[in-house]
Amino acid sequence: MSSPAFEAFLALIYTDAAARVRFVADPRGEAQRAGLTPAQIESLVAIDGRGLELAARSLAAKRRDG
Amino acid sequence: MIDRFGIGWRPALAAGILACADRIDVVEAMAEDFVDRAALATLRALTRTLPVTVHALSLGLASTIPVDEERLAAVARAVAAAGAPAWSEHLAFVRAGGIEIGHLCAPPRCAATLDGLMRNLRRARAVVGAAPWLENVATLIEPPGSDRDETAWARDVAAATGHPLLVDLHNLHANSVNFAFDPAAWIDALPAAAISGVHLAGGAWLEERWLDDHRHDVPDPVFALLERLAAHASRPLTVIIERDGAFPPMGALLAQLDRARAAVARGRRQRVLAGV
Repeated sequence: MSSPAFEAFLALIYTDAAARVRFVADPRGEAQRAGLTPAQIESLVAIDGRGLELAARSLAAKRRDG
Repeated sequence: MIDRFGIGWRPALAAGILACADRIDVVEAMAEDFVDRAALATLRALTRTLPVTVHALSLGLASTIPVDEERLAAVARAVAAAGAPAWSEHLAFVRAGGIEIGHLCAPPRCAATLDGLMRNLRRARAVVGAAPWLENVATLIEPPGSDRDETAWARDVAAATGHPLLVDLHNLHANSVNFAFDPAAWIDALPAAAISGVHLAGGAWLEERWLDDHRHDVPDPVFALLERLAAHASRPLTVIIERDGAFPPMGALLAQLDRARAAVARGRRQRVLAGV
């Protein structure tokens, strides 16, 4: 199911707070606009939202602290 | 069976490690810390005091995206400088679409990632000259795009690659706490002859999930998992404690290393008693 485009979308929502806000507001629409496959879109609609929030926070701290 | 016990080489720990070298069997150097000529010379010098293994974190091998050739060449230079018979990398992706994520991310656990991993491993073996030990990663999010759980993923990676495995027991502990699976079953699913390395570390709660932060002592459940792993693994183990912040006195790290030795010894005795 994965692909370079799917990984790029994950990298975007893991690291870009504005993109993440847009995604959380409309996961299906954002995934469709990124040109992802139907299976990839469904996996993002079903995303572990709490995990996304905590992972993004942890990644931001690790980037900040080196 | 000669198991080895050591500590991850960090500048903040260097003086303490060198002062206590008689109590440490091996150190693990981060490839990304030894890139330029002077640093590689330092790495060569370190090998005259202690055996060195090399650990990489920037390659992003578990990805549908081809591994970066320049980063791979840099790892190859570090492995050569260390004279290391073994090196390791994570089952992670770290960049995509021009974005550097800045840390290790659990990839989608699926066939496409496994295919990408196999391609990247072929390239890594060709450039570095040795097969990397593959390390499981911690994650706070169930990786989107996955079609199998973490136990099946580890088993499938081991079967498909045939590479030695570096089992990070704190990553396993953290994921088992966060996603409610049995870490002992995860261990038992691995081929006993593939388990070659172990990482130990500590963490803390990040709200309701357990974070692998390398800033705390190794917790008791991780030592229990180490005993279980040592009872299962059939090859000698290289056990490394990783610490990346809130550095304790060297004596405290050595005490954790002694606990690791004791846990492995208990596990090895179980193997003898079981006649395996």
